[in-house]
Amino acid sequence: MQIPANFAFSQNNLQDYVDCPRRFELRYLKKLAWPAIRSEPILAVERHMLLGERFHRMIQQHQSGLSAELIAATASEPELIDWWQAYLSAAPEPLPERRLVEHTLSAPFGNYRLIAKYDLLAIAPGERAVIVDWKTSLRKPKRTLLSRRIQTRLYPFLLVEAGKLLNNGTAFKPEQLELIYWFTAEPQKPERFPYSTDQLDQDRKFLHDLIADVVNASETDFPLTGDESMCRYCNYRSLCDRGVSAAEREDDAADEDNGESSGFDLDFEQISEIAF
Amino acid sequence: MDRFAYTPVQEQIIAAPLAGSRYISGPPGCGKTSAAVGRLRRMIEQGITAESILILTPQRSLAAPYAREISRPDLPAGGLPTIVTLGGLAQRTLQLFWPAVAGSSGFRHSELPPTYLTLETAQYYMAKVAAPLFERGYFEQLVIDRNRLYSQILDNLNKAAVVGFAHTDISRRLKNAWIGKPEQTIHYEQAQECANLFRAYCLEHNLLDYSLQIELFAQQLWPSHLVRQYLSNQYRHLIYDNLEEDVPVTQDIIREWLPAFDSSLLIFDQGAGYRAFLGADPANGETLRELCDQTGEFSQSFVTEPALQELGNAFSNILRPKAEKTVTPRALTGYSFAPSRFYPEMIDWVAAEVARLVHEEGVPPGEIAIVSPFLSDALRHSLMHRLLGHGVTARSHRPSRSLRDEPAARCLLTLARLAHPLWNLPATPQDVRAALLQIIGDIDLVRADLISAMLFSQRNKQAPLNSFDLVKPEMQERITFSIGERFMRLRAWLMDYIESEPAELDVFLARLFGELLAQPGFGFHDNYEAAGVTARLIESVQKFRRVTEATLQATGRSIGQEYLMMVADGVLAAQYLLPADEPPPDAVLVAPAYSFLMINQPVRFQFWLDVGSLGWWERLYQPLTHPHVLSRRWQPDKAWTDVDDFSANQETLQRLTSGLIARCREHIYLCAARVNERGTEEKGPLLYGIQSLLRLARELEAGHV
Repeated sequence: MQIPANFAFSQNNLQDYVDCPRRFELRYLKKLAWPAIRSEPILAVERHMLLGERFHRMIQQHQSGLSAELIAATASEPELIDWWQAYLSAAPEPLPERRLVEHTLSAPFGNYRLIAKYDLLAIAPGERAVIVDWKTSLRKPKRTLLSRRIQTRLYPFLLVEAGKLLNNGTAFKPEQLELIYWFTAEPQKPERFPYSTDQLDQDRKFLHDLIADVVNASETDFPLTGDESMCRYCNYRSLCDRGVSAAEREDDAADEDNGESSGFDLDFEQISEIAF
Repeated sequence: MDRFAYTPVQEQIIAAPLAGSRYISGPPGCGKTSAAVGRLRRMIEQGITAESILILTPQRSLAAPYAREISRPDLPAGGLPTIVTLGGLAQRTLQLFWPAVAGSSGFRHSELPPTYLTLETAQYYMAKVAAPLFERGYFEQLVIDRNRLYSQILDNLNKAAVVGFAHTDISRRLKNAWIGKPEQTIHYEQAQECANLFRAYCLEHNLLDYSLQIELFAQQLWPSHLVRQYLSNQYRHLIYDNLEEDVPVTQDIIREWLPAFDSSLLIFDQGAGYRAFLGADPANGETLRELCDQTGEFSQSFVTEPALQELGNAFSNILRPKAEKTVTPRALTGYSFAPSRFYPEMIDWVAAEVARLVHEEGVPPGEIAIVSPFLSDALRHSLMHRLLGHGVTARSHRPSRSLRDEPAARCLLTLARLAHPLWNLPATPQDVRAALLQIIGDIDLVRADLISAMLFSQRNKQAPLNSFDLVKPEMQERITFSIGERFMRLRAWLMDYIESEPAELDVFLARLFGELLAQPGFGFHDNYEAAGVTARLIESVQKFRRVTEATLQATGRSIGQEYLMMVADGVLAAQYLLPADEPPPDAVLVAPAYSFLMINQPVRFQFWLDVGSLGWWERLYQPLTHPHVLSRRWQPDKAWTDVDDFSANQETLQRLTSGLIARCREHIYLCAARVNERGTEEKGPLLYGIQSLLRLARELEAGHV
């Protein structure tokens, strides 16, 4: 199945491709709604995801200038209160002055585009830029796992490629960038990934090869993953004849990157569009 | 993704300095939006940060050309513009600034986050607050479905918000305009009472329906210094397209905001205003012209051939009472009149003619649209079925479809009733038979009927399906063991569920789908359409659960039971939105005429169905609301007379037909049936107009004109 000319590669769809090419095809090319449960216990997963969204919004409110007290009053759930306190007391700092929250960047890459939405970009033009990603997973994942995630490679790479206008018209030097994963589970122990020219070159090649692989698959076949344990957390398992029930979640930070992780999608945009 | 060459007029807009305000107007199809898209591209190429560009349209479908542009692979690297409607902007801003404004907005629990209502959940709460009043005899003289009354009361609230008057003033406006039987004014008062109760309930429970979102944005957020500063910092450039289709409150906000933008481009479609029934106010929008530094006119159509342009002129004059009625020889080549005796005959003819165009003339299916004033399920089904029979790909577009009438959804709801005996919502053998047809892929009606007759027990609620082993061997053989085996798996799954702790309804449905119905051998396994319907149903239940969890907890009722009861009452799952922003496939479009206009995608061939129908001309029967009286154009104390009604309908028809003709490149088929869908003869003003056109054509051919 052909990849549309206007297709944008993101951390979610690339990670899905890495995990299972067939899932990539079903989810992003065929856009097949397949409403089976991904992981159990579904309501707990859903609740955690919704709280995670609320937490991200609270930070957005705070970074947009609302007072911490006003924002704190909107949280009554114990986890949310704890996370908020952790954010106020242990958020990574010092961060550069200029803040961009929930900011999207995209750039041409080969015949397609790359796209990413950043939780927080903190920028001192001409000096440095810090990418902060808030993680509300139940446990902090190992650094080696994080370093393998597509997000860790794509986010700094794209900031170099597409961040020129945020840096007085000059592309950031890789050495000026840092990616910080901050965890509600261990707020005092964020994981920092400084960037480098060498890493940029490696990431460029990695993303180029990966996308070439996707394009190649689109002209031949999107195979099922060889790691069948992945299917236990995939909503398409019945379509692929690879299992019946969803497995208990094995929480890691990667889950929350995908807005569909619970199999329950939120689309706030749609509400207003339906209404009148 | 080839680009076309711009005209000098378009180039002027594209290359104009990136400062100051510009207003361009012109009829549809003359390249205004294309010029604006070109300008957007140039702005980004010239180094304007894309995230500082706000693209505002009244409806998401109208923003499709901009969305396409920003997804092109060759768009320069950087941020992305915001493409949004007022509703979207209001909601984003509310989500961000809720803590700052909620306290002064009358909400009882302003410290807690709000709950955003969908159309469906708003209707649910309206039913909840209004039902006791119905029991007391409110609206009892109105012979109309109760849910339509709910939606009209919500519509009134929305109109008050988007037009900009107090929601408590709805009945006064409606009563002042009414000159008919006095008892109608009581209905207006009752509708006002329902609206007031609904608003009070929303404030009490932190619920935000569309009307409250717009009111909060316009009256609390927009005047706030903090918010205005945030929005002004965020957005430095504006492109506001199809402003004629927008509501006064948006146009008012833009009026105030305009001086703060570094650059702005406002685009006005002349002769449009198709969303007037939703509060669109072209006249108010047009006043924005006066505030702009530069104005420009586009006039040359890139869509319609001269024949169709002349047909449009002729038709406009025919529909205007005092205009001179003439037609040119060229206009006669722009249309064909296709009369049939009966409705099905008309549908057959349309399908055959479409097939001829596609198969013999080589017309791509995507270049054909079949439009009608309304698109009933029956019409949609019969057209799609016939087109498919001719080997023609077709797609239907309606703003909403009845979810509960989809066979897959009915099947799921039947199984939900069987699985929850305590809810006391029994299923019938007919329901079970219909469900089996969906569940077991290769079962036929006879076998499904046999199973439901022999193995379904209405009395035994704890075990509604009996074992296949109880069936006599010869009958087992007739039903087949393969079907029997799958029936037994269904039975086992249901029994396991009944014996365990009940799940939330959406969770039940998702498990049922994934663990059984979508497994190999079952009917949903490779049925993508059924999977799509299931996804929509689950989404509907899920939104209902999230919104009602807090308010239902107090009553002790199960959310799932409440949902199923509301489905039975027609409040929920009555409609759902089709997926948005899908690129149009190369398929014949079957759509209501207004939906086609709002897609704003011209085609080479149009088929206008049932041109004799009054639906092309008159408004829907809406006894509790009135789009004209509740608009800003109407003087609040003036009476609405038959003359007003006639001229409004006439104007609607003229606008609709002009809009359709302006979106046709080659030819229009005017299809009439002497006997309509309901078996009666109908001759509406569109048909009279067409007859006038035919008369003029005959006179022209006879040399009399």
